[in-house]
Amino acid sequence: MTTQPTSTTERSVAHAVQTGVAFEAARHKELVEIDSVLDVSKFSLWYGENRALYDIAMSIPRGKVTALIGPSGCGKSTLLRSVNRLNDLVPSVRTSGEMLLNGRSIYDPGVDVISLRKRVGMVFQKSNPFPMSIFENVVYPLRIAGERKKSVLRDTCERALKSAAIWEEVKDRLHDSALGLSGGQQQRLCIARAVAVEPEVLLMDEPCSALDPIATARIEELIHDISSRYTVLIVTHNMQQASRVSDFTAFMYLGRLVEYGTTKQIFQNPHLPETEQYVTGRFG
Amino acid sequence: MSQPGTRTLELQPTPLRARGTAGTWLTGMALFVCVVMIVGLLGLILVSGSRTFWQRPIENVTLASGQSFYGMRFRTEQSPDMGERTLYRVGNRDLGQQPFRWVDEDEIANRERPDDAVLIERYEWGIWLGVPTRIIEIDDDGGRSVAAEGAQNVLEKLPSYLDAARARHIRAEKIRSDEIAKLNHKLEKLRLTDLNAKLRANSAEHNGHIGYGLWCSLVVLCLGSALGVYVLNAPIPRRLLILAMCLTALGAFVERPWADRPISQEQLDEILAGTSARRIKLAAQFTELTDQVAAIEAEDARYRVEIIDPLTGRFAALSQSQTDEPMKVSQIIRVVQPNKMGLSGKVGLYLSRWWEFISRNPREANTEGGVFPVIIGTLLVTLLLTIAVVPLGVMAALYMREYARQGLVISILRVAINNLAGVPSIVYGVFGLGFFCYGIGGVIDGGPDPSIVLRAGQWWILLFIAAGFAFVAMTISSGGPKNKRGLLGGLAWGAVAILAVIAVFTTPYFDGFFRAKLVDGSPTFGTSGLLWASLTLALLTLPVVIVSAEEAIAAVPGSLREGSYGCGASKWQTIQRVVLPGAMPGILTGAILAMARGAGEVAPLMIVGAVKLAPQLPFEARFPFIFADRSFMHLGFHIYDLGFKSPDSEAARGYVWTTTLLLVTLVVLMNLTAIRIRTKLKARFQSGQF
Ligand SMILES: Nc1ncnc2c1ncn2[C@@H]1O[C@H](COP(=O)(O)OP(=O)(O)OP(=O)(O)O)[C@@H](O)[C@H]1O
Ligand SMILES: [Mg+2]
Repeated sequence: MTTQPTSTTERSVAHAVQTGVAFEAARHKELVEIDSVLDVSKFSLWYGENRALYDIAMSIPRGKVTALIGPSGCGKSTLLRSVNRLNDLVPSVRTSGEMLLNGRSIYDPGVDVISLRKRVGMVFQKSNPFPMSIFENVVYPLRIAGERKKSVLRDTCERALKSAAIWEEVKDRLHDSALGLSGGQQQRLCIARAVAVEPEVLLMDEPCSALDPIATARIEELIHDISSRYTVLIVTHNMQQASRVSDFTAFMYLGRLVEYGTTKQIFQNPHLPETEQYVTGRFG
Repeated sequence: MSQPGTRTLELQPTPLRARGTAGTWLTGMALFVCVVMIVGLLGLILVSGSRTFWQRPIENVTLASGQSFYGMRFRTEQSPDMGERTLYRVGNRDLGQQPFRWVDEDEIANRERPDDAVLIERYEWGIWLGVPTRIIEIDDDGGRSVAAEGAQNVLEKLPSYLDAARARHIRAEKIRSDEIAKLNHKLEKLRLTDLNAKLRANSAEHNGHIGYGLWCSLVVLCLGSALGVYVLNAPIPRRLLILAMCLTALGAFVERPWADRPISQEQLDEILAGTSARRIKLAAQFTELTDQVAAIEAEDARYRVEIIDPLTGRFAALSQSQTDEPMKVSQIIRVVQPNKMGLSGKVGLYLSRWWEFISRNPREANTEGGVFPVIIGTLLVTLLLTIAVVPLGVMAALYMREYARQGLVISILRVAINNLAGVPSIVYGVFGLGFFCYGIGGVIDGGPDPSIVLRAGQWWILLFIAAGFAFVAMTISSGGPKNKRGLLGGLAWGAVAILAVIAVFTTPYFDGFFRAKLVDGSPTFGTSGLLWASLTLALLTLPVVIVSAEEAIAAVPGSLREGSYGCGASKWQTIQRVVLPGAMPGILTGAILAMARGAGEVAPLMIVGAVKLAPQLPFEARFPFIFADRSFMHLGFHIYDLGFKSPDSEAARGYVWTTTLLLVTLVVLMNLTAIRIRTKLKARFQSGQF
């Protein structure tokens, strides 16, 4: 132990990791008066013996875009997948703590996971259209909910494709296979599928990581457009993207939430040195 | 010594070992040997199989001794004493001679191809070689007139006589196979009605019927499920439950399970009187039909043709006992004059013989005629086996991949299934005979073994215990602590299954569906037959289907599953809409491979139902269309039978090859279909972009 105990190191992340103590995230004061749609409190998650999340506590503001940033392996995807309980599919997962969606617990034993997932849409890093027609892909969430009316399906399909900014490109080939689309189109199709049932929260896990700059720009535009209607929680490795599309940014590191505030503040005036180093690209 | 810094690189020739030439040669040779063997096998089958129906010329062979005979040269070979000898097919079996004859080349003085020589294919007694001399018509009072004389004349006129005879033949066949068969069927039904009535009149203790027990269990099941659905919110679709209830009600209405009671002597007499009245009516119809057939046959007998065998100077006779009467025209299938035939004629004959081979029934211990029932049997057994094995295998694979926790148990299970694929097929045959035919088939025919049947009270207690377990199992599966749910629920469901099976095999309410026939000495399902053969083959091919389905299911990307779950789909919906369609190419490939394997299997079929000559097709144009209890013919078994069990192996030889060719073609076609489906579906289910 050669470092001098100063006011900074007492709050340093590295110190918390070393000693294993909980880390109190630096929370900006702008967050105090927000209207939150999702409340996470003291949420931890284990993959078998390995702890992936440490007492995460954060509130996601309604109708805004919140970006999750952090170095690889820090638990961003894990946190995201905890929101729609997709982690239930991993047999060894164990959780503690609370997560409230609109004030109702997500991890309550009585919760209907299926209806939860209908309220929380998700877009994955790698686009995963189903091997069906474009139309069937978009109305898939309705079909599994038992919707049969042709008119409803058609209207939903059109609305969802329009809000995913892909309607013009595919409107003449709705009944062709979705696998014939380009990578960027497939990703926008997956977004259309996720918004087809008007979710309350839209989770996006690095939605642009496999796309070229033009497709990325289109999807960023799209996120901007739909953020008025949905709350968006997006994971990204691209700092410019985070600063372009998001209203709030959370920085995670080694399973802990480190700093959380408005995007402007995080990028221009971060409280912690780790955050500064990460967003300027000197760390991580 | 070389100076530092100027070290020269000495280039040595690469040793032969390192160049890899030897490896190329070795592997290339191995491949070559494989290709030669495969091509050789297929080529031999193709050449030999396609040669059988080609018409060879008829030779008039004159021996040094002055004897001369007609024959078709088959092959020439070195005889053991170093001379060459030739095998001739001489036919004319009813003269008492061997239909094939070896002749030493040294003995042959002369060979020629007489234009007038004809080959007659007959319904009985095989082929006849000879020279036609006369057509004779017999009028009603026995007077004979010669309608044509001399080979040329006869051959010109014979076709019109043949056409007329064929038309009569078709008419007679129609009466025999349609109407008389229908009558026979009705008579058989009457006989069974009598038997059944007598059985019911004499039985006091077995007062029930399967319908009763089955219906009761259905009622219990429906009530239990209703409780689960409406009280416990069990995840059973309500529509399904309502359907089950409707079916139960329908079953009660149709089957009237309570109606099957012992009958009194008066009732018995009434039934017997009714059947005998109907029997008399049917007998009258029967006589009428047989009269019609007899009239046709009498007409047939009026037209005769004389075809003289040059060796003995005798004509082809009407029958073995009437050698002084020339044969009827209607006994002829086909007249061929090979020595005057052009190429197109020969090709036409060749094709028509193939068609006959595929579309006709066998004759003469299977060495003549066609293999139509054999093809039908093979197709049916393959169809039934596929229907049985594919859903079962796919569901098992789904459980292992999608539901079961991947652990030791599943690994052991997987190894066991893989090993099952290596069990010799004859073992399956023995199992099929013991388990399906005698075990299950016996119960279906005559009800459970009296020594293990429970008394009514005991049986109902058993049933209620089973229902109780079902209730517990349903409660556990639909709620309860999550971590215990799997094991406990599984145990409870297992108990239900075992109790249900015990209940089925010990019920006092079941006398068998075909008791009358069994008492009569002819078991229906309690012996080998189409159904049990299909199920045995299904068991045999189950590992193939499970393994390929499992692979296909595992190959569906996890990201698709996650996407589906992310949309709020349940596990079953995900399987149904994403996993199964994605796995379909692999599943279908496995299914078709299983079909191909099942179609080519012989050993188990010999035990569980394939026969040399099936009296009836297992398929008929009346309900239920497929008669799964009947024995059947099968291409693989047919080859074995022709090749090794035929009384005349020379005559059977050609048919062995053609049948083999047919079987190989069938299997190859199936495999090609598999490949086609695979590529088609792959194109549909796989992304075009990378
Ligand atoms: N299915 C799993 N089983 C076991 N451990 C897992 C599993 N998924 C993730 N982890 C572990 O959890 C930690 C967090 O992983 P996560 O995928 O959330 O990181 P991430 O922040 O999304 O990284 P990236 O930016 O590379 O996507 C990692 O250490 C990872 O090894
Ligand atoms: Mg990730």
